Amino acid sequence: MTGISAGTGKKLIFLFTKIYKYIPVAVAAVILIVTSCTKQSEFDIGKDFIESQTRLQMVDTFRVDLSTIIEDSLRTSGTKIALVGNLGDELFGKIKCETYFDLAFSVFGAIEEKAYFDSAAFVLPFTGYSIGDTLSALNLEIHQLTEKIKTGNDGYLYSINSFAYQPQPLSNVTIYPEPHSKIDTALNFRVDALGEDLFNKIRDNDQNVSSSEWFMDYIRGFVITPGNAGNKAVIGLNAAENKIALKIYYHLRLEEPEKKEITISMGEINHQFNHVEYDLSGTYLNNIKSSGNKKMASETANKSYMQGLTGLITKVQFPSLQDIFMESNWKILKAELIIEPAAFSYEKYALPEKLYIYQTDMVSRTSSILKDEKGNSISQLTDDDNNPLTAIFEYDKVLGENTRYTFDITSYINKELAGKYYEYRRGLHIGISQDDYRTTLNRILFEGKKPPVKLRLYYLSY
Amino acid sequence: MRTARKTYILVLLIFCFQAGTISAQSTSSPYSVFGLGFLEGNSAGPFRAMGGTGIGFLSEKSVNYMNPASYSGIDSLISVFEVGLFGKYTTFSTSRESQSLFNSNLKYILMGFRVTPWLATSFGFSPYSSIGYNINTISTIEGTNTRYVKTFTGEGGVNQVYFGGSITPMKNLSLGFNAAYLFGNVTHTESSAVYSYYLEDITYISNFDFNYGLNYRVIVDKMRFSLGLIYGSSKKLRTENVTTIQTASTTETLKKRSYKYSIPQNMGAGIAFTKGFFSAGFDFERSNWEDVQFKNAFIHTRNSNRYSFGIEFPSQGVKKGTTGMIFYRLGGEFRESYITIDNTPINYRAVTLGAGIPLNNWISVVNVSLELGQNGTTSNGLFRESFVNLHLDLSFKDLWFMKKRYN
Repeated sequence: MTGISAGTGKKLIFLFTKIYKYIPVAVAAVILIVTSCTKQSEFDIGKDFIESQTRLQMVDTFRVDLSTIIEDSLRTSGTKIALVGNLGDELFGKIKCETYFDLAFSVFGAIEEKAYFDSAAFVLPFTGYSIGDTLSALNLEIHQLTEKIKTGNDGYLYSINSFAYQPQPLSNVTIYPEPHSKIDTALNFRVDALGEDLFNKIRDNDQNVSSSEWFMDYIRGFVITPGNAGNKAVIGLNAAENKIALKIYYHLRLEEPEKKEITISMGEINHQFNHVEYDLSGTYLNNIKSSGNKKMASETANKSYMQGLTGLITKVQFPSLQDIFMESNWKILKAELIIEPAAFSYEKYALPEKLYIYQTDMVSRTSSILKDEKGNSISQLTDDDNNPLTAIFEYDKVLGENTRYTFDITSYINKELAGKYYEYRRGLHIGISQDDYRTTLNRILFEGKKPPVKLRLYYLSY
Repeated sequence: MRTARKTYILVLLIFCFQAGTISAQSTSSPYSVFGLGFLEGNSAGPFRAMGGTGIGFLSEKSVNYMNPASYSGIDSLISVFEVGLFGKYTTFSTSRESQSLFNSNLKYILMGFRVTPWLATSFGFSPYSSIGYNINTISTIEGTNTRYVKTFTGEGGVNQVYFGGSITPMKNLSLGFNAAYLFGNVTHTESSAVYSYYLEDITYISNFDFNYGLNYRVIVDKMRFSLGLIYGSSKKLRTENVTTIQTASTTETLKKRSYKYSIPQNMGAGIAFTKGFFSAGFDFERSNWEDVQFKNAFIHTRNSNRYSFGIEFPSQGVKKGTTGMIFYRLGGEFRESYITIDNTPINYRAVTLGAGIPLNNWISVVNVSLELGQNGTTSNGLFRESFVNLHLDLSFKDLWFMKKRYN
C-alpha cells in the first residue's frame, strides 16, 4: 500500500490489479446490459383494461354536390393526333370532329424524262383509337382549304378554330372502324386530280412549287371532315411527324417500266389541329355556358358529365364540410372521395381507367388547360411523391354495382382545413388527363345522388 | 485517495444519467399501465435472495437502503460500491393463452462508506417504479366494420437518487434517514400503423422524498436480535404533462392533461436474528395507497401489506470461517397489490434462493439470486405473470482508499 500516494499512474495500476479478477463478472454484466432491450412481443394480454384516449371514426355524411362545367375551348394543335368523325346521343349531344393540316414544302427534284403520272393519295395511318359505334360505316371527306392555316398569337390552335374550305370534297372514303382502323394500317384518300396537277407543276418547274411561300399559297391546307351520312364514330389518325403524307405515284416509260413516287409530308405540327363542334340541344346540358355558371347535378337529372374535347368537367364541392369545425379535438387521418359512373351508362363507351383531380388555383394560369368557371386555371392534385393523384378504379364486370373511382384526397382536405375555415366554393374538378382532354372523347356520366357519391372521412377524436 | 472516491461518485453519476434512459424498460408487464407502474422495492443483492427481507438487518454485507439506519453497520474500514443487474423471464397467461418475454437491465447502483466513526453515509440510484408494456388491440373504426390494430405502449417510471446517513447515538441504537430525489416520467402511447397516428402522453414527475429508519439491537449469548423500523410519509409528486399527437401531416401539442401522482405513506417493521454466520429475518411493511386515487374506473387502490422472511447460512466444511466462505440464502415474499382491478387483487408472491460468492478476496462478492414467483391471477378475466428473475449484485468493497484517514 505504500505506493498509493506516489502518483496517479500507480494508482491506476493498483486499481487494475484489484479489478482484473472481476473481468468475467464484468463481461457477464455487459452481456446482460447489452441484451437488456425488452423484446417487444406483440401482446394482446392486457387489452381488456387499457383505456384508450382516442377514437377512430368514419363519417360519410358530409354533403357532396356534383355539377358540370364546360371549357370554352381546348388547345388541340400539335397533339400529334388527328380526330375525325361524329358521335351523338341524348346524353352528351351531337359532336363533330374535323381535323386540319397542311403540307410541307421541300425542294422538289427534277422529274425524269419519260415520267408518266399514275395516281395520288393522302395516306393517314390510324392510331388505333376509336370511340362510338365502331361497327357501322364511317364516311369521311377531304377538302382543300381556301385559306392558309394560321396559328393564334400564342402559337396554338384551339378546338373552336376553323378555316374555310371548298364545299366540294377532293375525295371521300367509307370505312368500318372495326376492323379497319387498326394501328399500322392507314386511311387512303385517292386524290388523282390534285396529284396530277402537282405532278405536272413539279415536272414543269412551275412557280407554285418553287418556294415555300408560293407552295403554301397554292396548296393552303386540307381538312378531313365526316360526311353527312349518319356517322356514329370518331377515329384517331396519327399526326406525328412524317406520318400523314400526300403520295404521288408515277412510272418511267423505259424498256423495263420503273415505278416511282413523290412523298409530300404533313407540314408544321402546330398547323395540325382538331376542330370540335357540339350541339347540346335536347340534352340536360342544353344551355350550359363555358363562361357561365356550373350546372348542378340536380338540374341535370342527378348526373354530372365528363368528356374530353368538348371540355366537360365534373365539379365536386363539399358544402357542409365547414361543419367539422363545430367539433373540437379531431384529426383527419384519411379522406376518400368516392364517385361512381351512373348505372348502364358505359356499355358503349368504355370507362377511362385513369381519372385525375384538379384544384382551382387562384394564382397560376400558365401550366394548365383546364379552367374553372371564372377563368382561373386549375392545378392537378398530387400524391405524396408529387405524382398526379389518380383514382383507384374498381370495375365490376358482373353487375356494375361496384364500379367506382376512389380518390385519396387526405392531403388536400387537411390543407384546406388547416386554416380553420373551409372555402367550399372552389371545390375540386374531376377529369381525364390533360392530354386525354385534348385528344380523346372519353367520357363518364357520373351518378350525382348520394350514395354513391360520398366523401368518406376517417378521423381521430381525442 | 480522494481521487478514487471521486471516481466512484463520477461512475455513479454517469450511471444515474444513463440509467434514466436505460431503466425505462426495466419492467415489462401490462399491469404496469396503472399509476406509477410496477413498484420495484428497495432491496439490494443479499436481501433480494432472502425474499427482500431487510428492515431488521444492518448494512454489513451490502448497502441495505431499505432501512437507512442500517448504514451504521458498514464496516469502518470499507467503502462499498454495488451494482445490481437483473434478467427476467416472464410468462403471461390468461385462462386461454400464454405469451412470454425476457427483459433485463441495470437495477441499481449503491455506494456506502463511513465518514466519521459516528456517521455512515450512502448514495445511490435505483428505480422506484417502472412502466413497460406493449399491447396490441383489435379496434373497430366507428361507423364501419373495418378493424384495425391499435397499439398501446407504456414506458418510463420513477427513479430515485438518494443520499442517506446513519448515526449511532447510543450503543445498539442507530437512526438513519434517506433524502431522495424522485424523477422520471410516465409515458403512455397509442398508435395505428395503418392510419398513421401516434399519441404520446408523457407526464414528467419529480419531487423530494424523505424516509427514516431505526435499528435497535440486543445481544444475548452471542445471539443478536435486531428490530428495524422504517417510515416515509405520503407525498404528492410534481407533474408536468406533455401530450402530442402526430399524424402523417401534422404534429400538435395538445392541451395538458392533469394527472395526479403520489407516493403513499409507508411504514414497516422487521426483526432479524444473527448468530455467528447464521441469520434470519422477517419483515412486515404497509403502504397506505388508499388515499391515492386513479382516474381509471376499473381500478381501485387499497392499503397493501408486504410480508417476507429469509435466512442466510454459510457453506459448511473447510471454507467455513475463511474468506472463501460462501453464504447461502433462502426466502419468501408476499406482496399485496396496491391496486385491484375489478375488485381482483394482483398479488405478488415469490420464493428466492441465492448465494454470496467471494471472489478471491473477502471484500469483493458476487451475490446471485433466483426469484421464482407469480403476479396476478387468471381469474376474473385477468392474467397471471409467472417469472424467473435472476439478480446479479456485484459488490466492490474496498478499504485501501480509506486507510489513510483511519490509520
